[in-house]
Amino acid sequence: MDPPQQPNLRVTIIAADGLYKRDVFRFPDPFAVATISGEQTKTTGVIKKTLNPYWNESFDMSVFPTSHPSPASSNHSPRRVTEESILAVQIFDQKKFKKKDQGFLGVVNVRVGSVLDLDAGGDGEHHPSFLPLFFLLRVLTEVEMLTRDLRKSNDNLVVNGKLILSLSTNLRTPIANGNAVQRPPLSSAGASQNGTSTPNPAQSTSSLQNDRPSSTAGSVPASRVPTNTTSGPPALNGANTSSRRNTESGFSAFEDAQGRLPPGWERREDNLGRTYYVDHNHRQTTWIRPTANFNAGEQRVAMEQQQSAERSRHQARMLPEDRTGTGSPDSQAAAPSPPPAAAANQASAAQMVATGATTAGTGELPAGWEQRHTAEGRAYFVDHNTRTTTWVDPRRQQYIRMYGQNAGAGNSTIQQQPVSQLGPLPSGWEMRLTNTARVYFVDHNTKTTTWDDPRLPSSLDQNVPQYKRDFRRKLIYFRSQPALRILSGQCHVKVRRTHIFEDSYAEIMRQSPNDLKKRLMIKFDGEDGLDYGGLSREFFFLLSHEMFNPFYCLFEYSAHDNYTLQINPHSGINPEHLGYFKFIGRVVGLAIFHRRFLDAFFIGAFYKMILKKKVALSDMEGVDAEFHRTLSWAMENDITDVIYSTFSVEDERFGEKVTVDLKPGGQDIEVTNENKREYVELITEWRIQKRVEEQFSAFVAGFHELIPADLVNVFDERELELLIGGIADIDVEDWKKHTDYRGYTESDAVVQNFWKCIRGWDAEQKSRLLQFATGTSRIPVNGFKDLQGSDGPRRFTIEKSGEEAQLPKSHTCFNRLDLPPYKSFEQLQQKLTWAVEETVGFGQE
Amino acid sequence: MAANKRIMKELGDVNTNPPPGCKITTKDEDIYNWDVSMDGPDDSIYKGGKFTIAIVLPKEYPFKPPTLSFRTKIYHPNVTNDDRGAMCLGMLRAEEWKPPNKIADVLKLVRAVLSAPQPDDAVEAGIADQFKNDRKGFDKTAQDWVKKYAK
Repeated sequence: MDPPQQPNLRVTIIAADGLYKRDVFRFPDPFAVATISGEQTKTTGVIKKTLNPYWNESFDMSVFPTSHPSPASSNHSPRRVTEESILAVQIFDQKKFKKKDQGFLGVVNVRVGSVLDLDAGGDGEHHPSFLPLFFLLRVLTEVEMLTRDLRKSNDNLVVNGKLILSLSTNLRTPIANGNAVQRPPLSSAGASQNGTSTPNPAQSTSSLQNDRPSSTAGSVPASRVPTNTTSGPPALNGANTSSRRNTESGFSAFEDAQGRLPPGWERREDNLGRTYYVDHNHRQTTWIRPTANFNAGEQRVAMEQQQSAERSRHQARMLPEDRTGTGSPDSQAAAPSPPPAAAANQASAAQMVATGATTAGTGELPAGWEQRHTAEGRAYFVDHNTRTTTWVDPRRQQYIRMYGQNAGAGNSTIQQQPVSQLGPLPSGWEMRLTNTARVYFVDHNTKTTTWDDPRLPSSLDQNVPQYKRDFRRKLIYFRSQPALRILSGQCHVKVRRTHIFEDSYAEIMRQSPNDLKKRLMIKFDGEDGLDYGGLSREFFFLLSHEMFNPFYCLFEYSAHDNYTLQINPHSGINPEHLGYFKFIGRVVGLAIFHRRFLDAFFIGAFYKMILKKKVALSDMEGVDAEFHRTLSWAMENDITDVIYSTFSVEDERFGEKVTVDLKPGGQDIEVTNENKREYVELITEWRIQKRVEEQFSAFVAGFHELIPADLVNVFDERELELLIGGIADIDVEDWKKHTDYRGYTESDAVVQNFWKCIRGWDAEQKSRLLQFATGTSRIPVNGFKDLQGSDGPRRFTIEKSGEEAQLPKSHTCFNRLDLPPYKSFEQLQQKLTWAVEETVGFGQE
Repeated sequence: MAANKRIMKELGDVNTNPPPGCKITTKDEDIYNWDVSMDGPDDSIYKGGKFTIAIVLPKEYPFKPPTLSFRTKIYHPNVTNDDRGAMCLGMLRAEEWKPPNKIADVLKLVRAVLSAPQPDDAVEAGIADQFKNDRKGFDKTAQDWVKKYAK
């Protein structure tokens, strides 16, 4: 045998949960003993009197490789390692340890590095002493978190509970075993959150570099440490009942009633007991069970198709103010015909808004500009000064777009007229040209600048009731603020597509917020191309898919559907989570700052929290519909002899049960009919906000480094969703095709008027209606047929409900709009506009 | 703990006045996990059987419904024929649960469903079909299972 080598594996014994209570009258004093193949014994401290000990102690150990990773292994296929070292962790009760075998509380065996089932499926059967080995939970590439059922030893004493440990090959950071009962120490990246200085790049990135082959210490690959587990997600759920149910089902995480999952796949349940599937091969999660005759190639093709559909949706999003619009040259938008006063249909009008296209100008282009053509032959313009592209011919800049709409007829026209016809500017205003010959306006009264001509109407038509909260005006104001101006210089971010999360973390955290405000230049490793917009769009698209992927346990899907996101309260399973939340906050700010969109949509309450607004019971609907319903019941009914709660909640942290006061001394204050309103308020706040306070503070600290709080506060929560995610061009035909009616039929005049009204709206209004009715402006990638409600697929539904004098209402849980039978088109349009416009907050009941 | 007063009260109530045919115990000091031993109702084909039912109360109880699973195998259209033995009917459904419902009410419901299976609201379609179309065959299997598993 080789002599023991340098330690190359860090084992962190985090906690055990639900140990067996061998004595009736007393709890054990558990401690853990770790060995590698029977040697290198390491022992944790003793935690007194608990069935849920929390140690969080790390030990550096050596494992003996018998062969090296296959050179053929790529970043995407699991690495083939034949690592035969066995890590055994035994738990004992210290009080009884001296008596032979008496103190034994269970053992977990892990064969380090084995990935047999990932490649070959069923390989585990060749090793009868072990169940098929899989890794359970991979929190970023450098650390493997494992949650395993404790097992009996030979003496057959009853054993109960689970052990949570992590394996890492990153031995560079010193072990910080503090007082074992304290929370895990903050990571280097997380610790920097409070300081104003930028994190030390060497520190904050060291843990990530392990995934790069060149820096892997020793010969144990950093990723993919397998485990033989029989249960799904308890690491995430703690004592959540869903995990209990899962354990009871009797199936391992790698099989179900339909048989075994394909190699590398795992079945898990989320916080609401919904089953989802983790593809460890591609680090993806999905709600759809992989089929038995699973074909990796086919699956990859399907995933690529899905992604390209998502990408094209992502790129079609825009904001009303975006002149470069939908991403210029590669956009499929048809060139509108723009003679003055030409009538155009609604669709091309929307595109017109989106692209801001103009006719060709004459004369020479301004300095630094170049005219190019797309493959389809459409002309576009490259501004090398600002490295942007646009459909707008800079020579035609004096022609300002003007949108007109004939409200009565539903037809719209697009007019372009020379600036000179608009008359003089208002007092105190001045028109200037940028060095790239772009017109902008200075308002000396407020000392602000804007691209928007103050003489033009801010909305489509002055005859139509104006939006009270004029998103476009706010956006112009917001973007004209000095704090949101691009600084001179460039901010280079170079990433590998295959490691976009890790690389972006390193690149974005090493730069100061001011560096990040310079012109963003994204470069994908191994790819040519300068970032004239397209690359950064792609960057934010790919990155948002990675960092919000529930696979990393930082975010999870809300109860509302299977795509809106919320912070995962159990993200602390990754000791570095706060560093990542700060990073994600920076990325969200970065995207807003550089006018790019993220392909991510959050629960309404998350946007409210960014805006420092108080969350309300109605926000609970998107977080936990069931709880929302029973809390609402409590508000409306006599709770005497029903609710015996006090102003406190029980929370579980890594198996440790704690009682949290909702207000000082809350444990001793009974909830009564008199104070239940306050109770509901406080428990809502706790459930949505307080539980993820640490994570959210880290997120928002990163966010505010780029976007000052007082500026973003001009928006409301719905507008913030649009600002972050962009406005989609909603296909009304698809929407209508997948709509159900209750009490109405499609041919009813009200329904006809409804769709007529929607067709007449611009993209922002349509998005707002969607937010009103479904809680989010996101449309499923495959269109409205895939719309989800809190209880599974739920098509958009229009229900006949209410009186003519009332406003429409919505039930976001069920994607339902309650539409009173309005008699006229005008009445419907007015009421609908009003409802969508005036209602504050998500989840209108 | 004060937060569990409602559960403690219910436990006290079922101990002094247990629902018909039911015996309730809790695991260790864990008041969130109830074990119920239920006699098959006399007016049902499950008569003579003893069924162990595990009830898990969520932390948010009574704001969230308890979950219920038969630990004893039972042949019944409303109980999943798997390791879970789950029953999800009426008030146990998340969308129908109301805070004033009590575990004793839940147990009364279970007994009622044992006496009168609800094939139109079944979780086991095959068993429901047999119940409707081949009542004899259903009764036989159900009684065989009682002898085999519920003694």
